[in-house]
Amino acid sequence: MLNEKIQKLLFILPTCLFLLVISIFPFLYSVYLSLFQAKLTKMHKKFFIGWENYQVLLFEDDVFPTAIKNTFMIAFSSITIEIILGFIMAKIFFEIRHIKFSNALRTVTIMPIMLTPLCVGLVFLYILNPTLGIFSYILDTVFGIEPFAYLGEPLPAKISIIAINSWQWTPFMMILLLAGLMTVPNEQYEAAKIDGANWFHVMTKIEIPSILSFVLLGVVLRLIECIRLFDIIYITTRGGPGIATEVMAFFTYRTEFRSFQIGTGSASAVIILIISLIVTTIAVTLLRRVERNEGLN
Amino acid sequence: MKASIRKKAILLIIASFITLIFLAPNLWMLFGSFKSQNAMFALPPVWIPDFSYIKNFTIMLSESYKYLINSIIVTVCSTIVSLIFSLPTAFGLTFFKFKGRYFLADWILSTRMLPPVAAAVPLFILFKYLNLLDSLFALVIVYTAFNIPFAVWVSASFFKKIPYDLIEASRIEGASWFHIFLKIAIPLSKGGIATVAIFVFIFSWNELLIALFFTVSESRTFPIFISAQVSQAQIIWGNVAAATVIQSIPPILLTIFLQKNIVSGLTLGAVKN
Repeated sequence: MLNEKIQKLLFILPTCLFLLVISIFPFLYSVYLSLFQAKLTKMHKKFFIGWENYQVLLFEDDVFPTAIKNTFMIAFSSITIEIILGFIMAKIFFEIRHIKFSNALRTVTIMPIMLTPLCVGLVFLYILNPTLGIFSYILDTVFGIEPFAYLGEPLPAKISIIAINSWQWTPFMMILLLAGLMTVPNEQYEAAKIDGANWFHVMTKIEIPSILSFVLLGVVLRLIECIRLFDIIYITTRGGPGIATEVMAFFTYRTEFRSFQIGTGSASAVIILIISLIVTTIAVTLLRRVERNEGLN
Repeated sequence: MKASIRKKAILLIIASFITLIFLAPNLWMLFGSFKSQNAMFALPPVWIPDFSYIKNFTIMLSESYKYLINSIIVTVCSTIVSLIFSLPTAFGLTFFKFKGRYFLADWILSTRMLPPVAAAVPLFILFKYLNLLDSLFALVIVYTAFNIPFAVWVSASFFKKIPYDLIEASRIEGASWFHIFLKIAIPLSKGGIATVAIFVFIFSWNELLIALFFTVSESRTFPIFISAQVSQAQIIWGNVAAATVIQSIPPILLTIFLQKNIVSGLTLGAVKN
């Protein structure tokens, strides 16, 4: 029989080594590359330029600052919409949770979450086809609005991206908040009833305080997803029209893999990395707290 | 009593409408996959297609079966390898009382949250150096690495449900950790492990970004094939619709199995059902 210590190491060490090589090394190497001027096609001819890539990205060119702005604009709008709609939906499904049929409805509602983001993008690309799509047909026949290129104009394109993003993720917020509502002890509702509290009081005094940690968790997890938003942009707008829907991850991909500027691309990757690290620190602390004090059960 | 039944009926109807909002776009694509190019964009729309028209599927599959097989191989292999790495680690982090285990767990979790795009070029260079670019093997390695943190955390949340006394008792009887892991922990957490496997499967199946960087021709995955159809000047929407439907089948079917554990999985085990 193996020594106790070796046994324990065999359980944990392989994963740590694997993650070091495939996960940690690449991020550090990105930091290194960001200090060079280099082309992916001519890797042997790179030369050290220090902070210049960052300088150019952040202060001399306005594409990347726009990408940062867009990423956060899309993130905040989508997450706000998701919380509001998700809460309303959670309330509705909470009220009818004892009806069997509502389970089937809920299962169908949460399907977009797991759907391939690429496919979600394609579904909406088909629906939003400017002249012949079903969306413009409905707008035209029901509301009399002339069809136009929804993904081809800056503001409608932004709104479309936010709408697609929210469509996919509102169900996530819904089931998360539904799990939150389930934790409210029944006695609290009964007590409120006896005190004659109306629905608004029940919502603001009982429900919202007790699901607050769930909302926070949802926001942080969604923020992490939104920072890496890529697939939907890649398939629908490609950052366009112009740079109206340019986001950080897509900009990095374009710079590294379309223009082969891996120095600049790595610099933008590192900036995304730093932003992610800040959000991640908050997320890990939150997950730990939630998990340790079992506050969510 | 009557008023409450009426209230519930109204809410049920509203809930059905909500469900429709999340179902309709997919349904429209599904219907589109059974239409000819003309019918797909006919005005007024062809609401119900002729479901015996399967030409889109036959044409698309004959062009792309190779990539579909690639996708299946990469997804299945990376799911299995992820579990082989993650389950023992999750077990260790749950039951070994050593200093720094919280730190280690947090570190593993934080690697999950780093943006893949920031790792793409360094990994590209690494695999180019190892002569493994454009290979399924490289994809399996990278997908596994990206899935391990998730798998470790969620499996750990299931291992925690095992009563510690049970572990303790076996230890006193002289069972090795390997024995406890294989004969007690794994069988008791079967449901949880299935949940983890399904999530990891779907994550790998859905992956696009890394595959865009890594696959040139031979090792293209199905999502890469689909996105290539769209960058052509003339989009053959019938084929795209059929491919989208096929790509969507596994996530949709598997979500049905996830049901109860989906919240738990999506919050990395923080919320229990």
